[in-house]
Amino acid sequence: MAYLSQYQYYDNAGASPNNANWGSYQYVSLKDVVTNFELMYYGNHSLINNEPRYKILFHTKRGIQELNYDAFKEIKALELKVYDSLTFTLPDDYVNWVRVSLYKDGYLRPLTENIQVNSAEAYLQSSTGTLSFNADGTVVTAPSTLDTQRVSGEQKSIYLNKNNAYNNQVGISADNPDGRKDYNIGARYGLNTETANFNPTFRIDKKAGVINFDSTMANEQCVLEYISDGMEGGDDANISVNKLFEEYLYAYVTYAMLNGKFGVQEYIINRARKNKSSLLRNAKIRISNIHPGRLLMNLRGENKWIK
Amino acid sequence: MINSVRNTVLSILNKNNYGYISPSDFNLFAKQAQLDIFDDYFYQYNQLINQENARISGTGYADVAKGYEEVIDLFSMTNTLTQSALNQYFLPSISTTGDDYYLINKVLCSSGGVLLGEAEKVSNSKINLLNSSHLTSPNANFPAYTLQGGLITIFPSSFNGATDIEAQYIRYPKAPNWTYINVVNGDPAFNQSAADFQDFELSPDDETSLVFKILQYAGMSIRELQAAQFGAEQEQMEEQNEN
Repeated sequence: MAYLSQYQYYDNAGASPNNANWGSYQYVSLKDVVTNFELMYYGNHSLINNEPRYKILFHTKRGIQELNYDAFKEIKALELKVYDSLTFTLPDDYVNWVRVSLYKDGYLRPLTENIQVNSAEAYLQSSTGTLSFNADGTVVTAPSTLDTQRVSGEQKSIYLNKNNAYNNQVGISADNPDGRKDYNIGARYGLNTETANFNPTFRIDKKAGVINFDSTMANEQCVLEYISDGMEGGDDANISVNKLFEEYLYAYVTYAMLNGKFGVQEYIINRARKNKSSLLRNAKIRISNIHPGRLLMNLRGENKWIK
Repeated sequence: MINSVRNTVLSILNKNNYGYISPSDFNLFAKQAQLDIFDDYFYQYNQLINQENARISGTGYADVAKGYEEVIDLFSMTNTLTQSALNQYFLPSISTTGDDYYLINKVLCSSGGVLLGEAEKVSNSKINLLNSSHLTSPNANFPAYTLQGGLITIFPSSFNGATDIEAQYIRYPKAPNWTYINVVNGDPAFNQSAADFQDFELSPDDETSLVFKILQYAGMSIRELQAAQFGAEQEQMEEQNEN
């Protein structure tokens, strides 16, 4: 594919949207990767021949998916308002989450994942505990108490937020008739640090495809940072890979195809495996952007006075 | 070349008074011999590639595989395929593209005159699996095709325009036809300007192979075992020299 002119890059050659090509030089498209592989690493005089193109395509996409999971650092972010239902539907290209935050008063507050379950399925039970069944043999379900009380705000929290049993003020105060502290000040001895967070909590229901929050998150803005697999909703024309990983991807496809082929000598497979592993390490180091300037900023902290 | 081949064949046959072959018989044998040699190009080419992989083949003037590629490419054609129905198209044939195909090398898929991708051949046993795969299902960038009967089916079915599909293929060589003018009380005289005249389409260095092949067929025809054996032996010697 030809290089873009500066007019095409900056202004999309006058077409809309004009920012369509911004930053595109960092990436190489899936089609280019497959074409280059067929040209350079496949054929009569190469290690790989007589294999259908769909195998090359499959391994290329699998390689891109794996890179998206941990190496690329291409984190997507989606902001949605959480309404009274206290759920946040996971994005269509969601694979795993990185951070869930509450955006309030101009600050982004990272939220804590609740260590306790906050949503459950419930079966409809009679007064004697027997279950009811539908005509198709499935059990009759009902909203769980856990869910209804979480949504209504009746559910108590072990976290130090508004739903805490002691109004967020755990501790004994000698001068208070209720025996509870009134202010969130002073030392707290024996505090469980795992649950010592003021913010709303959440838990991800992967199968249901939602994030369930506690009731303190109602009508608040939520920002989900997550990773995808880079498959761009199945549109091959939009799938791309950072150029720093291009060589690794060729090595990965070579290894994957040799590894899956009958009769290839073990030393050839091992050579391909080592090649792709070292290229992955190199690419990860490159993309981590360890600059002296950034290290310097962090190391300046070593001279800080601590009381 | 066809007249030279015929003269050589007749000369060898007549030398030992084995007999005479008529122009129509010669044309039949010539067609068969040409097909044999044409088919052999691909096996020879494959053998040479294997030699290259085994590093027992040279480059430059010693690159014999390149010569075979060039000869095969003489029969290369690129034509738009005629649509049969939706995403099905007729394979190249005399009635659609003007020539029968020996093998399909490349199928190019376009939409609105813009080339989008080269389709890959997929066996009929795999196409359903391929279509049901999220990662590899055929799409505009990576189309696929299957062959069935005289038809080629393109996937995805969005390629369904009358001029969307183009194929690059290797056609069969045209049947040679030694044309002549009837001469009373004499041999038929060669007539190169006849409308149905067709020379051999193989390269000139295959002339000896053609002669030996035709001799074998002619020897069988006139029941002269020696003539057939002579042709076979000569051909075998030639092959040994090439290898």
